[in-house]
Amino acid sequence: MARRVKKGGISDIRAAAKRSNVTFLRSMLMLFQFSAFALLALKKSPLDMQALTYAICLPAVTYLCLKVIPRVWAIDRILLTLVLFLCSVSIVTLKDIARAESTSQEQALFMLIGIAMMLGAIAFIRKLRNWEKWILPLMIVSVVALALPIVIGDWRYGAKNWIKVFNISVQPSEFVKLSLAAVLSISFSRQSTRRQQYVTLGFAVLLCGILLVERDLGALLIYFFLTLALFYLGTSNGWLTLAGLGAGAAGSVLAYHSFDYVKARVETFVNPWADPQDSSYQIVQALIAIGSGGMFGMGLGLGLPRNIPLYHSDFIFAAISEEFGYIFALCLLAVYVLIIMRGISIAMNARNRFHALLAFGMSALIGVQTLIAVGGNTKLIPLTGVTLPFVAAGGSSLMSCFLAVGFLLGISSINAQYEQDDIRKAEWQEAAPK
Amino acid sequence: MKELRRNIRLIGTLLVVIFIITGGAFGYTVYTQGSRWMTNQYNTRLNNAKSTVVMGSIVDRNGVVLASTNSEGERVYSSSKSIRRAMSQTVGDPLSMSGTGVETFHSGTLLGFSGSIIDRAAQWYRGDEFKGDNIMLTVDAKLTEYISGQFPDGYQGAVVVLNYKTGEILSMVSKPDYDPARVDARNIDSEGSGYLNRCLQGLYTPGSVFKIVTLNAALSNIPGVTNQTFTCTGEAHYGDTVVRCIGGTAHGEITLAQAVAKSCNVTFAALSYEVGNAAFLSTAQSMGFNTNFRFQDIVLYNSVLPTDISSGGELAWSGVGQGRIQVTPLHMAMITGGIANGGTIMEPRLIRQTYGATSISRKNMTSSAFRTGAVSASAAEITKQYMRLAVTGGTASNAAVKGYNICGKTGSAEVSDDKSVNTHAWFVGFIDDPDYPYAVAVVVEHGGAGSDKAAKLASRVFKKVIELT
Repeated sequence: MARRVKKGGISDIRAAAKRSNVTFLRSMLMLFQFSAFALLALKKSPLDMQALTYAICLPAVTYLCLKVIPRVWAIDRILLTLVLFLCSVSIVTLKDIARAESTSQEQALFMLIGIAMMLGAIAFIRKLRNWEKWILPLMIVSVVALALPIVIGDWRYGAKNWIKVFNISVQPSEFVKLSLAAVLSISFSRQSTRRQQYVTLGFAVLLCGILLVERDLGALLIYFFLTLALFYLGTSNGWLTLAGLGAGAAGSVLAYHSFDYVKARVETFVNPWADPQDSSYQIVQALIAIGSGGMFGMGLGLGLPRNIPLYHSDFIFAAISEEFGYIFALCLLAVYVLIIMRGISIAMNARNRFHALLAFGMSALIGVQTLIAVGGNTKLIPLTGVTLPFVAAGGSSLMSCFLAVGFLLGISSINAQYEQDDIRKAEWQEAAPK
Repeated sequence: MKELRRNIRLIGTLLVVIFIITGGAFGYTVYTQGSRWMTNQYNTRLNNAKSTVVMGSIVDRNGVVLASTNSEGERVYSSSKSIRRAMSQTVGDPLSMSGTGVETFHSGTLLGFSGSIIDRAAQWYRGDEFKGDNIMLTVDAKLTEYISGQFPDGYQGAVVVLNYKTGEILSMVSKPDYDPARVDARNIDSEGSGYLNRCLQGLYTPGSVFKIVTLNAALSNIPGVTNQTFTCTGEAHYGDTVVRCIGGTAHGEITLAQAVAKSCNVTFAALSYEVGNAAFLSTAQSMGFNTNFRFQDIVLYNSVLPTDISSGGELAWSGVGQGRIQVTPLHMAMITGGIANGGTIMEPRLIRQTYGATSISRKNMTSSAFRTGAVSASAAEITKQYMRLAVTGGTASNAAVKGYNICGKTGSAEVSDDKSVNTHAWFVGFIDDPDYPYAVAVVVEHGGAGSDKAAKLASRVFKKVIELT
């Protein structure tokens, strides 16, 4: 640390360079938002007022977010910029392809609510001190919330994972996964006995069991991998982690043989062309859309992604591939990789085990969810009905993603504060007479 | 904390690596299979594009127009009804009834989806309406029309002619056929199985033409097999299974060459039995059985040789091409062409050239090998000699053409357990002449013995293809 202080002048220049980098990124993002929506507004005559509103409001929101929030907290600005980029891609795509005007409007509204929740999450995680006492309440709330759809939910798209609260559909599994990550992080951050570890794992298994009953295979996969990752991080127990992976594989074989709906999913995955009109209609239409888009896409507004069922949520990646081409889709994946790498570096810089585990858990959640969504859309893995983080239409998904990013940003600001303290301490030591 | 950071680095790297693999796999599958996904008959975008883009023309290798778009934007086919019907499954139709036809499988090219940006820009600059690319096929319409006319009346089946040096498909005839100009949504089912291109999609039991594969398995696995003599008593027992020669004929003491020429089942059953399951399977797979065909120009159904043959009886029957073996006529023509080509099987080609409406861009066909050295050059040479013998003094004598080295093999494939149903008549063969490098496969369903209808038709096909070259 002392070295850095000696070269104080240089580090100032570095900081300035970094700042201008972020400024450039922000300007590019605002340019993207403005030009994309201006294009969509001009496509119709008379001017599409909704698109025009977006063209003005979205850059404004972006500017405000990236100007004001870093003033209050020393958050990771690049991470926030990338997340806002994904949200803009989402609204552009939805504005363009969705049948109803309200779809993109809802998404924009959810984005604003999401940003507010993100701010709350930042403030909360910065204030949180005695996290250990939260573990039991979190466990109970998680189980109850996740099991709720079994009692009062109804079947939708072959799964029973929704409940209605004041006429708004909520998917509890989207929020419970954050709670699971928190429980695992708390449990593995303290010096725990074997028995305590097994209780935590038992809790995770219970949640997975509930999801199996609700037939939410996508969420099940996310929960499973999240648990394994955090278990390994916390305990360094490689053999037991591999055993868990093996148990998961054995469990999926068992599920394949004992549940017809799992078998049907796998069969449409292995040979989707066998029944392109009925059982594998979704994936066939998705593949056709991706194939039609080709390298550079059909062009904004020129494709027919509406042929794909659920084009706006579960299949948005296929829809984006059609409109923008697979080069753009690959770039989108690269943005996710960047987000995850920022998340990992926040976890590496964290000063205590809980923050490190939680930060990694949040990045892993986003990462695994993206992989499952993209893999399903492109027939790399069987289809499970997972939303693409920040891009797919859907309030629950968007809000839980913003909460995850909020925790990440909060931890990043705590890290920055510690760093600042370190520098100040070193400066003080240097200045003090020996 | 240090250990935790190390773990984070490990799992984090793993996550990023999985991302990169996913991205790579996604890019690779779209790049290699994207056009297959797009040219699916369930893709409504193509029909939409048809209303805004002028679909390109399809011409045969000599420039004879087979399909084009008239000034009203309607799709018109050849004015000759016989050419229309002969080329029906190859060219396809506006409703994609024949899903493997060029009109469907290459609609991306015809509608300009995969065309060059230069063409697009030139058309836009001139203010022309958008035109898709044109396709010149490797197929000879005149030859195809002739073969279609010569096909035995009242029978179903398929004929493939290909150039075994370049892989170009010169002709595909599939009976029954249909008239693409008369296809409409109202009588979609009226032509029945005519929409099927039997050359590409017809999976047939090969019968004795499969002995070419068995012979090569024996040549590469049994040393000195060419000098052996075999004793045929007309039947042989493998457990409960009895392998008989056709009509129960006892061929007596015969050499391997005579066994090919006379198509002796007992000898070939013994050969496959001696070679054993693994070597038999490996030879067949090197010739393309059980391969997932992913050719650029055509959709070819996969040929099947069961990998789970457990009884000696089934192995023996497989050696004579019976049992659960299934093969398409085109694949059989490819194998035969591979023998003629010194053991190298060429990738079948249907598109000779694609060229844009403004003629700025032209893409010519390039030949490539499907399997180099599918069989060894020496084994291919021996097979060739034996197939020649089958024509000069064996079951394939009806395929002979005076003055040309025709090599061939007949087959009479049993398609039911009792004798009430007539066998499928097969013939595969080629002209052993560098000036006329053509291989032919003929199937006449329920046409009886291969030596009769199939071989006679092949002889006429050989004569015509020599005349037209």
